[in-house]
Amino acid sequence: MSIRVAIVDDHRLVREGLTKVLGAEEGIEMVGECGLGAEVPSFVAELRPDVLLLDIALPDRDGLSLIEAVRERSPETRVLMLSMHSESEYAVAAVERGACGLVGKAASPDILVEAIRAVAAGSTLPVGEKLSPREREVLAAITAGLPNGEIAEKLGIRVKTVEGHCGRMMAKLDIHTRAGLVAHGRRIGL
Amino acid sequence: MKPIRVVVADDHGLVRSGLRALLASSGIDVAAEAKDGRELLASVREHRPDIALVDLSMPLLDGFEATRRIPFVSPETRVIVLSMHDDARYIDRAGRLGAWAYLTKDEAPERLADVIRRVARGDRLLEKPEDDVAEPLSPREREVLQLIAEGKKNAEIANVMNRSVHTVRNHRARLMRKLGVRTASQLVATADARGLICLRAPGRPT
Repeated sequence: MSIRVAIVDDHRLVREGLTKVLGAEEGIEMVGECGLGAEVPSFVAELRPDVLLLDIALPDRDGLSLIEAVRERSPETRVLMLSMHSESEYAVAAVERGACGLVGKAASPDILVEAIRAVAAGSTLPVGEKLSPREREVLAAITAGLPNGEIAEKLGIRVKTVEGHCGRMMAKLDIHTRAGLVAHGRRIGL
Repeated sequence: MKPIRVVVADDHGLVRSGLRALLASSGIDVAAEAKDGRELLASVREHRPDIALVDLSMPLLDGFEATRRIPFVSPETRVIVLSMHDDARYIDRAGRLGAWAYLTKDEAPERLADVIRRVARGDRLLEKPEDDVAEPLSPREREVLQLIAEGKKNAEIANVMNRSVHTVRNHRARLMRKLGVRTASQLVATADARGLICLRAPGRPT
């Protein structure tokens, strides 16, 4: 039997393009498209897809906040997030909220098809390490342009500890300069 | 009639293959795909397409700078910008740099095909503004700025641009002076705030 897949993405060209690409795959049946976060709960309640592809950045709703509503309205639907950024932070957050994983839009269609088959079969995709709350605080301060000394003072920790947080964040995020951390912080809205 | 030949540039593989599938069903031929601005220029040089469909936020070289350079590598190729940003500053800038049309990813597939056909026929849908304001940064400075924001060090930037580290340092110093900042971190934050680079994912609070 085919896997019944529905897609939520606010960009019509992306949504319709993926519907075409996935619809041509054997064993996958595309059953619906939706472009508005607000319509997602009724959309899944009506269609009851096996797998819902859900864009993480919808203009009217945060995709992450919709996962719960989807699971409530259609408990058997497996949610697979789509994101412009494949950073592990988003993937961890999505899985914590009940999604089965996240596929970056930079991936090839083959990867997405494989992920759809895996989650439909009951798997959860592996995710990387998440930033700790303290690391997020330090990242927010770095993004605001504070030097380490001021960050240490603000958070009541030692400069050495701030440096340690920076090093660990760079390793987790695979970013190698402070300017790169600032760009990352702004990208994720800190 | 010969089919219209297009090169599609977007850093997202899923978006590229979707566009390829949509265009194929409208009888438009995708000659090649590119995942960043540098690959786009090489691809346009090789394939000489009628149309380059260009995303703005791409790694290594963004869509603005790629748009400016495409006529130098393939004079017959016309650029259509396809972006998720519905931002007047970006539309204006794309026109200034020579793009023939600007579409957002919200468009219907039929409209995309229609605009590609019109531009291929010679309809310019985006006016080149007359009041040419001075660009605050030179093309080289923009390139360096983008690579700094991507977290690259001077040696890596020199390598990507095929320039000496010394030259990169000079560009970096000039950027800081022009934007009135003292650190690379402030440089990225200021450039983003002024819309000189596009970093932020859509749908997130600013």
